[in-house]
Order: sequence, then structure tokens, then C-alpha cells
Amino acid sequence: MAAFLVRRLLQMLLVTIVAAICSYTLLYISPGGPIDTLLAERQNSGANRVSQDDIQRVIERFELDLYMPVRFSRWLLGWPKAPIFGSLGSDWVVGCTTPGKVRLRYPDGRVEIVEEGCENTVTLAELEGRKVSNGVIFGDFGESQVMLRGRPVTDLIGSRLPYTLYLMGASIVLALLIGVPIGVYSAVKQYSRFDYTMTTITFIGSSLPSFVFGIFAILIFSVLAKQAGLPYLPSGDAVGVRNYVIPLLGEIQAGSFFDRFLRVLMPCGVLTFINLAGWSRFVRSSMLEVLSQDYVRTARAKGVSERMVILKHALRNSLIPFVTLLAGVLASLFGGALIIETVFNWPGLGRLYIDALGRNDYNVANALLLINVVLLLVGILITDILYTVVDPRIRLG
Amino acid sequence: MAMTTAIPTGEPKTTAPESQLSIVLRRFRKHRLAMFCIGLLGVMLLLSAFAPLIAPFPRDQLNLKANYLTPFSTDVAGKLHVFGTDHLGRDYATRLLFASRVSLGTAVFSTLISSIIGIVLGLLAGFFGGWIDTIISRTLEIVATFPTLSLLLIVVSIFVGNEKNIPFPSFVTSTISFLFAVSEREAKLVLMVNLILAFFGWTTTCRLMRGMVLSVRENVYIDSARALGASNLRLLARHVFPNSLPPMIVDFTLAVNGTLVAESALSFLGFGITDPTPTWGNMLGYAQSYMFQYPWMPLIPSLPILLASVAINYIGDGLRDALDPRQKI
Repeated sequence: MAAFLVRRLLQMLLVTIVAAICSYTLLYISPGGPIDTLLAERQNSGANRVSQDDIQRVIERFELDLYMPVRFSRWLLGWPKAPIFGSLGSDWVVGCTTPGKVRLRYPDGRVEIVEEGCENTVTLAELEGRKVSNGVIFGDFGESQVMLRGRPVTDLIGSRLPYTLYLMGASIVLALLIGVPIGVYSAVKQYSRFDYTMTTITFIGSSLPSFVFGIFAILIFSVLAKQAGLPYLPSGDAVGVRNYVIPLLGEIQAGSFFDRFLRVLMPCGVLTFINLAGWSRFVRSSMLEVLSQDYVRTARAKGVSERMVILKHALRNSLIPFVTLLAGVLASLFGGALIIETVFNWPGLGRLYIDALGRNDYNVANALLLINVVLLLVGILITDILYTVVDPRIRLG
Repeated sequence: MAMTTAIPTGEPKTTAPESQLSIVLRRFRKHRLAMFCIGLLGVMLLLSAFAPLIAPFPRDQLNLKANYLTPFSTDVAGKLHVFGTDHLGRDYATRLLFASRVSLGTAVFSTLISSIIGIVLGLLAGFFGGWIDTIISRTLEIVATFPTLSLLLIVVSIFVGNEKNIPFPSFVTSTISFLFAVSEREAKLVLMVNLILAFFGWTTTCRLMRGMVLSVRENVYIDSARALGASNLRLLARHVFPNSLPPMIVDFTLAVNGTLVAESALSFLGFGITDPTPTWGNMLGYAQSYMFQYPWMPLIPSLPILLASVAINYIGDGLRDALDPRQKI
């Protein structure tokens, strides 16, 4: 067990670092980097032209003047911050502020200017005093670069996390409470009318894209209900900005408990339905498999009541494969639902990720991706350990 | 001697045994819903194939005086817009037709690429084992631990928008622009999204193919073929590949649905194929902002996504039942 844990933890560390390298390089090799964004922003807003100073500031903020490995190591480990061991390597070159220009004169008279070498270099000594994160590995994700400029990424994540936890937690619990009994009942009454109806509904539910569901829910419960003068549900956000009147329910105070409740209903309902569809199908098929086992027949033959057969003998064994779903649940509990949160304008982590990508806030996007990867890995690890708990025949090796 | 004449000659009197394919087809035909879905999908494919011919308007024709027209209304010039017009006054039916070309095309094209990659890698990993298998399996394991949608979003947000800097050969872009009925300029973006989706889609196929090959490889007929002197290539092409193919057909249909949904979701979020190239996903994405004033706007592009997705899934289900000899229909 101990050896297994050590090996798995090492593996997890490796995968996390690979993921970090991937996401970091992907984001920073993108040609539409921070400077292009700045230029485009200025051009669109029609504000003052971008000066050399502005560009210099951006270069400094994103550390674009440092070489890639140095930048990456400062981001991942928060090292090197200054010359190592006092003075060693204080004149080592770690970056380049202005690339050198070489004039090439061709025999046919053409002149070309090529960037080659470096005119102004950055040395390790010059890094001293620069702002730097303490290393992503140690939980410091640096500062947000665009969305909340200058504030730590953890602040941004912290302010969004409660919304995600609350939405995802509620929908996961609901889906479990509704989905498992539906799956069990469908399996017990196989080929009954209930089974056929549920199979069709869950089939459609698990094959449809979630954003179509979201749009349909908004169409039916807010747009059409509002136009028909019926009580309707607010279509987005977690908290209202101003008071509003709903037929039959009267005026709703913005920010009140009832306001929050009405707003979470739709996203939570849609998420619950999507999860429920998949899970009840899963429970149904594993329950069907267990019900055809010999020990179930034996239990029935011994005269155990049908209720006990289903609840004690079949259900407990059919839930063993269900544990595999836990890995995904943990990650989605904290990672949020990217698409549903966007459709319902829910201020959770999923939407934060999409916004960060859309606005080139690399630190935020990187942090969220890494957290997601780590949670997925932890989820898989917990799943493997839980397997041995629910099924003692399985050993970790 | 009379006895010998009574014995039937070597010629078999019975008809030739039913081929595997016709058994599967016969079983599939019994699946009424799946047959209906094939018809439905066929109509959609036909409509998208002839989109440029049957579309009533040019795809990008703007008419700012006649935007947000409701379905079945006529504009000032007296022309009928069956599905109305969008926020820029472009004919919605026309855009929907062209969008189905791009959406369905992407679903099929990029799944074809990813399936080919997955099948080839799975074949190699399963058949040869050793270090080839180690490399492929480890890659699969690492890829499996990544949150796909998040990573897909990052990759798309980086490469899309910079596709102009990538030198695709012109014969590729012209083929793409013909296949998807888009202009050469838009073809790069469409190709880029297709390639990225294909790059993320091969893992499931590869894992499935590897498993199939591992079990097929152990059969006696493989040993006999090898004993008869068949080369590795011949073994792979004539024996291993055809015998591990059936589950891949089901996997392919489900993967087509996966790609369709993934492309729609990306375009819906504004990260995939963007205006002016229409896809069902981005039409729905734009319509979302106007849905309170014009509720029909999101309804029209979301219906084909819904129909295509459910139809493909039912076809996959029917195929799975038809291909599984243990299932009774």
C-alpha cells in the first residue's frame, strides 16, 4: 500500500509538471501574445497610441524579456529570484531586452535587417527586486494580468469558488439522490413501461450537448413563461442587481435568499438532468448485470425477501463500478461546468476559465487548468483506493 | 454400383451461406428507430451536400433594413425568408443550410482523421507490443488524465486566429473550401478546428483498437497464417485488421456525435469557427444574445444539433445491437 502510494504520488507529480509545461508553453508561444492584445485593445478603443513605454511595461509585466526556461522556472518554482548563493552567477545572462540587429548586404544590392544576437542583456543580478511569484508548485499562482490587474490569482479564484461549489454540489447531490433510484428501479422492472420511458429520456439526456439544454431551459422557463405572463425564472447570474416582479410571487428583493434560490434553479436543474441521465444508465446496466448473478438467485432461493435481495445483495454490489465516477465528480465539483456556467452567466470557476482564455489572462487560465489536472489525478487516486475498500478482492500493487 | 449413383455428388445443394455483412444488415433493418434515424440523417446530409444549389440567397448577403425578420415573413423586396433573418439581415435558412455543411462536414471529416490515427496506432501498439506499445499506452494514460475540454479550449484559443500564419499548401485549402462550401480564406480556420478536434479525438479509438487487437492476435488462425509464412504486414492487413474492425464501426458513429457536439460547443462559446462562416454552434451562440426579443432565433439552429445528435446515437445503438451476435432482436 505504502509503495503503491509513493509510486502514484510520484507519477502524479510527473503528470502535473508535464501538464504545467504543456499549458505554459502553449500559452506563451501563441503569436497573439500580450503585446498584440495590448495593440489591438488600444486600436479598438481609439485611445492614445501605444508608446514604447507601454510596450516596455507589458514586456516587464509578462517577463517577455527573459528566456523561456528561466521564465518557466520562475513561474513554476519561483526560482531564480536573485543570484544564487549571494554572488555566484550574478553576471549570467538570463534574458534579452533589445535584440541585436544585423545589417545584411547582398551582392545584388538588397539590404536586409535581421534580428540576431542581443544588444541589451538581462543578468541574474538585475532580476533582484523584480516581482515574482513564489512558485506555482507551492500554491502561488502569481497575479492576474488582465481581469483583475495586479491582484493575486488566488483572490480571483477564491471569490468564484463558493458559487461553483454551491451549484455543482447541489446538482451532484440531487443527481445522485434521483439518478440511483431510477437506475435501480429500471433494472428491477426491466422492459416495463417505466423502464422504456426512462431509457428514452436518459438516452436523449446523455447524447445531447449541454448548451442546447441550457438554451432550451432559458427559452421555456424564462422567455416564453415571461411572455405568457406566467411566473418565470431569471435567466442568468447568481445574484440580482435590482428588484424585479414575478407574477404570483410578487416583488423579489435583489440579493435576498429567494432571489438566489430562483437563480440557481435553472442551471442546477439542467446540470442535475445531464448528470442524472448518465448515472442512472450506468446504475441500470451494472444492476442488471448483478441481478443475473448466481448469488442473487441463491439469495432468492433461500427465501430472502425481494426487498432485501435488491437493497442488500444487488445494490451494494452494483455500486462498485459506480466508484469510478468519483474521479470526475471531484474535479467537476471544484472545476465547475464550463459550458453551463457560460450559458447561465454563472460567476463560477468554469466561466472564469473561459473569460481568462478569451482575454489572454494567462496566469489565471494556467492556474485553473493546473488545479483541474491535480483534482482529476487526486480523484483517480481516491477511486483506486476506494476500490479496495468496496471490493476486498482487489489489491493495489 | 447402383448405390454410388444414389449418393449425392460433391456439389452442395444448399444456397451459399449468408455473408456476415448481410446478417448485420438484416439485423440492423429490424431496428426501426435506427432505420428512421438513417433516413433523417440522410436527408440532412443531402441538404448540406446541395446547400449552395438550393440556398435561396447568397450566404453573406447583408440587409440591415430587414434584420430580425420572423420566420415566413417577406422583406421589402417581397422575397420570402422561410426562417427569417438574423441580426445582420442575412437569410437564416440559407445560413442554416451552409452551417449544416460545415457542422456535419467537420463531424465526419475530423472523426475520419482521428479514427485513422487511432486505428493505426492501436493496431501497431496491440500487434507489436514492446516499446511501441509502451510509448503509445503511456501517452494515452497521460492524455486521459487531462481535462479534455479545458485543454481543447486552450489549444483552440491559441491556434485559431493565428491560422493565417500557418502555411497550408493551397491544394489543401482549396479541397477544404470545396468540401465545406466556404471561401479559401475561411478554409484555413475550418481546417485548423478540424485538425485540433482530430488531434484530441483519437485516444478512445486507439484504446479500443488496441484491446481488440490484443484479443484477436491470440486466435489460432493468426498462428496458422503465420505458420503458412504470412508476413507481419499481411497478417495485419488481411487477418487482424478486418477481425477487429466491427466494434470500431460503433465507435466511429459515437465519435462523429462527439465531434459534432464538441465543434458546436466550441463555436457556441466563440472559440471555434466564427462568423462569417456559419455553423450550427456559432449561429446558436450569436442567437443567445437576442433570444429575449426573438425567441425563434436560438430555436432554429438548435433543432438540427438536437436531431443530428440523437439520430447518430440511435444509429450507433442499432449498429451495436446488430453487430453483437449475443443480442436477440
